[in-house]
Amino acid sequence: MIPPTLYLLLSILAEFAVFFIVTLSLNLEVGHTGIAQFGRVLAVEAGAFTVGGLTSRLLAWILGLPAGVEYADPLRNYFIVDEINAAFSENVALGLGYFVLSLVLAAIVGALLGWLTSRPAIRLKEAYLGISLLAYGEMLMWIAYNYQPIVGGTIAVGIPDPFRIIQVKGGPEGGFYRNITITFVMLAIALLMYFLAEKLTKSPFGRTLKMHRDCEIAASAYGLDLVKTRTMSLIVGSTLAALAGALYVFYAGACNAGAFSRLTWTFWPWAYMMLGGVGSNLGIAVGVIIFLTVRVLIVQYRFDLAAALHLPFDPIWLEYTIAGLAIILIVLFKPSGLIPEKPVTTLPRDKIKSILKSIEEKQDEKESPT
Amino acid sequence: MVYTLVEDAIIYACSLGLLACGVNLIYTSTKTFNFSHGCMSTWGVYIIFSGVAIFGVNLYYFFPIAFLLGALLGVICYICINGPLLRRQAKPVTLMMSTLGFDLILYSGIQIYADFLTYTFKLYPRMISMRMYDFIIGEMRAATIVAITLTTATIMAFYIFMSKTKLGIAVRAISENPSLTALSGVRPDKVYLTAWILGGGLACIGGAMMSLVVTGTPVMGWLVIISVFAASIVGGVNSVYGGIMGGFIIGLAEFLGSYLLTFPLGSWILQYKPIISLIAMTITLMVLPTGLVGIKETRLAKKFKKLTISSRGGEI
Repeated sequence: MIPPTLYLLLSILAEFAVFFIVTLSLNLEVGHTGIAQFGRVLAVEAGAFTVGGLTSRLLAWILGLPAGVEYADPLRNYFIVDEINAAFSENVALGLGYFVLSLVLAAIVGALLGWLTSRPAIRLKEAYLGISLLAYGEMLMWIAYNYQPIVGGTIAVGIPDPFRIIQVKGGPEGGFYRNITITFVMLAIALLMYFLAEKLTKSPFGRTLKMHRDCEIAASAYGLDLVKTRTMSLIVGSTLAALAGALYVFYAGACNAGAFSRLTWTFWPWAYMMLGGVGSNLGIAVGVIIFLTVRVLIVQYRFDLAAALHLPFDPIWLEYTIAGLAIILIVLFKPSGLIPEKPVTTLPRDKIKSILKSIEEKQDEKESPT
Repeated sequence: MVYTLVEDAIIYACSLGLLACGVNLIYTSTKTFNFSHGCMSTWGVYIIFSGVAIFGVNLYYFFPIAFLLGALLGVICYICINGPLLRRQAKPVTLMMSTLGFDLILYSGIQIYADFLTYTFKLYPRMISMRMYDFIIGEMRAATIVAITLTTATIMAFYIFMSKTKLGIAVRAISENPSLTALSGVRPDKVYLTAWILGGGLACIGGAMMSLVVTGTPVMGWLVIISVFAASIVGGVNSVYGGIMGGFIIGLAEFLGSYLLTFPLGSWILQYKPIISLIAMTITLMVLPTGLVGIKETRLAKKFKKLTISSRGGEI
């Protein structure tokens, strides 16, 4: 028997992995480049719908199952996904190949969408850009929600589970082992993305982004192509967010268009980012974990909380009060967040000194024979 | 059927105009895109709903109370959040984000209030149809008459306020150049507070008006806010009248435009109503970033003159 707290911990870890990647991508665009990205949900949707509507279909077609409009039909989708899962439990390589291919395709679609959103947005600035990005995110959700053949419309489509073999082999507690596996895979990917983001921040590209954020006029005076910088930032950010969306639907096992609201996928990440510290990658990890833990605990223990405090309402709404208060207090009293952004140190000072010394020695050697 | 549709479209357009007008007033004076407008409007719905459901009198008696509550919310938002940030000269994105925080608090307030109504008065406040409390005057719904009267009164009041009173002229001056206005002896604080009071009041009244057409739910404001932003951008964010104009265009396009499109395309188009406003907004942002108000009359006249001259064979 597995204790319920372990399930809780596992769900916090899994959500942490997904939202950490989303918030990292948001930080890249908002914290580093200075774009008012109020449409983060768009790229997340792109990743999720790629897995739900494209790669799963591809797989069904390869296995000789119906893959056209009828794939997203809620009456038939369940059986199709079930058959794919049966194929997965026999063939490990097929499942893993599907997983990797889905992530790669999601990233590519995300990058394409990032480029596409940057096209009309390049002329706009600040609040206008934010509002138009918000509108794009809403548009895609609305279309997928109302047009059934994409991902089932109002009813979720199932996602084939590439880790099905663990569930089958694991016996009665197989589902738990499957959850552990996918959670740790997601955490590993999130860690990888964190190191990539750190590397990116310190690279010349990352410093270019910061130059764009700090002073656009100075940046363009130094010959920086502002539009290109903004486009590149949107592309990289959208790729990351699409990856997170794909991972989320794999974890959830279903893809529901209605689940991709702008509150969950744009405004919560903004709150996490502001709590942790805009522009600081480590701060974001702290912000995500604090906020997520509070949220999950409130949702989990809401009935106990209501009974203990004699609340005349459902405590689940306190989640929003806390988030709103946190945003306001952070903006007013600690705009740099819990772990503020530090100036980028490209190399340790000793190393720079030793490099300088070696250069001087070389010059001395050159000068000495003459 | 068409008759009710036209009436619904007019009520919806009027309330959208009032909401967008409030957004524009707050934006033009404080340079804050007010995200909390959505939940402020939902509070308006809950004020008139609880008034009618508990006291059972004419629902239009509660409109002034809704205005007062909206003004109070605006004052709270200004004094606690927006004012300190404006004094610190925060970035536009920070200002926007802070109103989002206020929006979340208002949302939780609405949900808690709805729970309170459920437990205490045994009402069902999560799916409100205010339509059934409405009555008919002559051959029209009372709501249509009230909506048109309210919008006309708002336009006239704004015209008098903006051109005849000192405070109104100060609002216009602040939107042109805040530092120069402050230099010539106007206290910006007073102007900002006025904008928030009027904007908040209009938000609540607009939301209350809208609930006579749209089903009132706690998330109504969040669904409507996109159309409101679209309306204010299409009209032109820097003009109060632009907001009302944009509201009319977007509102009529969403209701009547989608209805007219069903004839060539079929009834599936009705599901995509909100996308019409989003597309209108995107096109406006790309072609005419200053909105419809930004079109200069003189420039139009010049173009017209050129056209007439060239059609006459180019005399000059």
